[in-house]
Amino acid sequence: MYNGGDHYDGNGGGAANANTLFSGGGFMPSQTTNTPDGSGGISKSRGAQTLLPLTVKQIMDATQTNDDKSSFAVNGTEVSTVRLVGRMMNKIERVTDVQFVLDDGTGRIEVNRWANETSDTTEMGLVKDGDYVIVNGGLKSFQGKRHIVAYSVRLVTNYNDITHHFLYCIYVHLDLAKAKKSATQTQVTASASTWNQGPPLNNQAPTLSASGNAGGNELSDMVMNVFHDPMLVNLEHGVSIQQVASRLKISDALARSTVTHLLDVGNLYPTIDDNHYKSTLNG
Amino acid sequence: MDTSAPSPFVNGEILKMFLGRRVRTVVQVQHNEGGVLLGLSTDGHQLTIRGAPGAPEPPHYIEVIGIADSSLSIRAESCTDFGENFDGVAFNGLCKLANDKYKYMFL
Repeated sequence: MYNGGDHYDGNGGGAANANTLFSGGGFMPSQTTNTPDGSGGISKSRGAQTLLPLTVKQIMDATQTNDDKSSFAVNGTEVSTVRLVGRMMNKIERVTDVQFVLDDGTGRIEVNRWANETSDTTEMGLVKDGDYVIVNGGLKSFQGKRHIVAYSVRLVTNYNDITHHFLYCIYVHLDLAKAKKSATQTQVTASASTWNQGPPLNNQAPTLSASGNAGGNELSDMVMNVFHDPMLVNLEHGVSIQQVASRLKISDALARSTVTHLLDVGNLYPTIDDNHYKSTLNG
Repeated sequence: MDTSAPSPFVNGEILKMFLGRRVRTVVQVQHNEGGVLLGLSTDGHQLTIRGAPGAPEPPHYIEVIGIADSSLSIRAESCTDFGENFDGVAFNGLCKLANDKYKYMFL
């Protein structure tokens, strides 16, 4: 079973906020830190430990990053902890560990589970060849061969989890691709060091639509774009209502009501007074 | 690590693209007699599954992994009972995505 649907879907407001507070604590990769760092466009982030749902095919296609042969990149994002869902095959139990092959339909990969604690052995005793299992583990490479060192191996009890896993792989894949694309765009915008007055605003907010609470409201999106503008994010007291209004050429009242709404849904927080706010994504 | 022999997700329509190859699909059991099972694919095709002894009764869903014999039949290598509460619509959507737009993530 996946633990808690509301955390798993990545769209629950609470989960999204929790991700912001506790770096890498959720299932969605942390995007605020996915900035290109010049080393071949591989994003290194605190989210490298973030659990990524992947297919075996994606792992096969993952590139090994140059500086350290033990790390991998999928979609240009460093990945070390992965979730796979598939059938257990060729299970071999030994004193020190349990080894099996995971077949997720896109390919097969070897998985090792070290028997450090009694709980490890107990958990591995519950699953057998032919069972569908959810594996969370670290992606490793040994002598050029990729394998998984599992932290947990759990039996699938609701088979919709299998469908869900693969759909979630697609979702996360798209989300990473989008984050990378807009991060690049943001850097271009920032290095141009021009004030971006008025439209087009839609290429300035790299993370909004994936932040969980974006309501799809155009005005809200535009207001959030102002808060994510590279020229404004570092203001100590945040952005004032008046700045928002003048940026978007809207009335103060409309700016205030939109900001209040974004405050309510948790995308903004007040700073020194009721007139200044910052985006929760920017800490 | 080996991705040379995948078993792609298929529905009734996509099954035709993989004749003679290993596939996996989910069907809802309609009729089961003498090791030959009739099942409804998630996109409404009636499929014949051979070699599925001990398959559950209707209206259970089963996952079949096997070789696509023809455009409407599969020779099963393994069957798993997915129960009665499987979401066929979501699975059907996944089949389409995994064989079209996001094929590179699966095959």
